[in-house]
Amino acid sequence: MTNHPPKAVDSVKIPPSKKFMGNKSRSIFAILIFLILLLFPLTQFIFGGMNYWLHLLLYAFMYIAMASSWNIIGGYTGYVSLGHNVFFTAGAYIAGLLWVYQGISPFIIAPFGGLIAFLIGLVFGLITLRTSGSAFIISSIALTSLAAILLDKWELAGGANGLSLNLIDLPLNTAKFPFYYAFLLLAALTVFVSYRIKHSKFGLGLRAISQDDVKAEVAGIPTNNYKILAFAISGLFIGIAGSLWVYYLTYLRPGLFLALGISANLVLMSLIGGKGTVVGPVIGAVIMIAINEFFVSQLGSSAMNIVAIGVLLILVLLFFPEGIIGTLKSNKKLPKILDWE
Amino acid sequence: MEQFLQILILGLSLGGVYALMSSGLTLIFGVMRIVNLAHASFIVVAAYISYWAFKLIGMDPILSVIITFPIMFLVGLLVYKLIFAKVIESSRFVEITVLLTFALSLIIEGLLNYFFTGIYRSTTPIYCTECLYFGNLYFPEGQFYATIVSVIILLGLFLFLRYTRLGNAIRATTQNRTAAKTVGVNVDRISMLTFGIGTGLAGASGSLVSFLFTFYPAKHMDWGTIILALIVLGGMGSLFGSLVGSFILSVIAAFVSYYFGPTWSPITFYSALFIILLIRPQGLFGKKMELSR
Repeated sequence: MTNHPPKAVDSVKIPPSKKFMGNKSRSIFAILIFLILLLFPLTQFIFGGMNYWLHLLLYAFMYIAMASSWNIIGGYTGYVSLGHNVFFTAGAYIAGLLWVYQGISPFIIAPFGGLIAFLIGLVFGLITLRTSGSAFIISSIALTSLAAILLDKWELAGGANGLSLNLIDLPLNTAKFPFYYAFLLLAALTVFVSYRIKHSKFGLGLRAISQDDVKAEVAGIPTNNYKILAFAISGLFIGIAGSLWVYYLTYLRPGLFLALGISANLVLMSLIGGKGTVVGPVIGAVIMIAINEFFVSQLGSSAMNIVAIGVLLILVLLFFPEGIIGTLKSNKKLPKILDWE
Repeated sequence: MEQFLQILILGLSLGGVYALMSSGLTLIFGVMRIVNLAHASFIVVAAYISYWAFKLIGMDPILSVIITFPIMFLVGLLVYKLIFAKVIESSRFVEITVLLTFALSLIIEGLLNYFFTGIYRSTTPIYCTECLYFGNLYFPEGQFYATIVSVIILLGLFLFLRYTRLGNAIRATTQNRTAAKTVGVNVDRISMLTFGIGTGLAGASGSLVSFLFTFYPAKHMDWGTIILALIVLGGMGSLFGSLVGSFILSVIAAFVSYYFGPTWSPITFYSALFIILLIRPQGLFGKKMELSR
C-alpha cells in the first residue's frame, strides 16, 4: 500500500465515521433477519413438510453469495465478467472428485474449492486484467470456452457425461439442514466481506478504478494488484458455493455448472438490485429466485427460461440501469435499514 | 512435404469462411465499438434458415445466401432500431452494449431450443462429402465452394467499402466518428446500415457453415469464441486484420487437428485469444488501446 491519500479521486466520498458507527437500526435489522433464518429450519420439526421452502431459501442464499461475490469485480471495480461460472465449476469439480474418489466430505473441501477458485482468479486475472472494457469481457468468455473443452476431455471426471455423487446420509426431514446452514453462513460471510471491502481503503481504490483507471493509477492506487485481487476474491466465494452445490445436486456435469445462464444470472441479479451497492445483489438475487420460481411453476419450460432471463436483462439495461438500490438512492428514498453504502 | 501441403490446404480452405464469419463483427465493431456477442447467434439462425430451405424446398445451401443475407440484414436493422439506438449516448456504452448482445444471444439460443430442440443438424448437399483431387492432394468440395463464395462476398464488401459513397461514409465513421459527423456524414444512419450489413454477412456465412459443420442452438458459444479470437488476433476493427487472422488461425487449427485429433482444434482459437491478449492486446493490425474503452 502507498501513503497517497485516497481523496485524490474527487468523486468518491468517504462516509463520515459518526454515521458509520451510529447507524444501529440497520445492524439490528440485519442481525434479526439472520437469527430468523437461523431458526427457520426448526419449523420442520413443528409443522413438517418444509423441505420445499428450505430448498428455495438455500438456493437463494447461494445466489446471494454468488451475486455479491460477482459484484466485487463487476460492480465495485466495474469489470464485467461473463466467465464466473468457471469458478463455480472449479469448486464443484474439486469437491465432487474428492468425494467420489477419496470419500472426503464436500463440506470439508468447500474452503479448498474456494481457494482453488481464488488461485484460478489470480492466474487469469494476471493475464486478462491487462485489458479492460470489451477485451476483458471477451477474455472472460474465452475462459468459459476453454474450461468447457477441457472438461469434456477429462476422463477421470466423466467427460461431458460427468459423474453422479452419493447422497448425503441423513433422514429426509433433516437432509437439507447441513446445506441450508452452510449456504446461510456462506451468504452472510460474503455479504459481510463485500460490505467490509466497500468501506475499506481497498474498496475505495476499486471504486476509483471503476470511475477512471488512469486517474486512479496516477492517484497512487496500485490498480493492477487491486483489480487482480478483486477478481480472485470474487472467485473465492463462488468456488465455495460450487463445492457445496455439487454435493447438494449429486451430479457433476459440465453442463450443470459451466452454464451460460449462471453467468447471466449473476449479472442480472446485480443489475436489478443495483450494481456496485452492498445490498443490491442480495435483493436482486431474492427477486430473481422468486421470479424464476414463479415462471418454472407456471410454465415449467426450461428452454423459455433462458429467454426470460435475456428479455429481462435487456429491459433492465435499457430502462432501469441503476437498479433498485441505485434508483432509490439517487431519489434519496433509500430506507435507512437498506443503506449500507 | 506432401502431407504438410495437404494440411495447409485443409487449413486454408476454412480460412475464407472464418473470414466471412468474422467480417460482419469487425465491421460493426469498427463503426460502433459494439462487441456483438450475438453475432454467432445470428450465424446459427441463418444456418437454420438454410437448413429448412434445403429440407423443405430443396434449396442449395450456397444458393440460399441470396435469402439469408437480406433476411438477416433486416433483422440487423430491426435489432439496431429496437435496442442499440436507445443506448448510443450512454456513458457506459461498452459495458451496456456487450451485455445487451449477450442477452440477445441467450434469447436466440432459448428460442431455437424451444422450436427446433437441441438436435445436431447440418444441410447435406451432394458436394459436402465429395473431394476434388489435384494430383495427390485433395480438396473437400464443399469447403472449396464455400471458400470461393466467401472470397467473392468479401471482395464485394471490399469494393463496396472502397468505391461507393456509402462505403466511404462507413470507412470514415470507422476512422473517426466525430470527424465523420463534422464533414456531414449521418452517423446514426450509417451505424444502423452497418449493423444491418454486418448481420447480413453473418447470415451469408451461416448458409455456408450449415453444410461445413453440424450445428445446434448452443453452437453460438463455439463459433462466437472462435470469431472473437480471429478479430482479436487481427486487431479489432481492422477488416484486413481479421482476414489475416482467420487464415493464420485456421491453418494452425488444421495442424492441431491433424496431430492431436479434431476435437482439440477449437482449443487453438481459445488459447490464441489469451496469448494475444497477453503479449499484444491490440492484435496484429489494431491501433493501441483500440479495445479498452
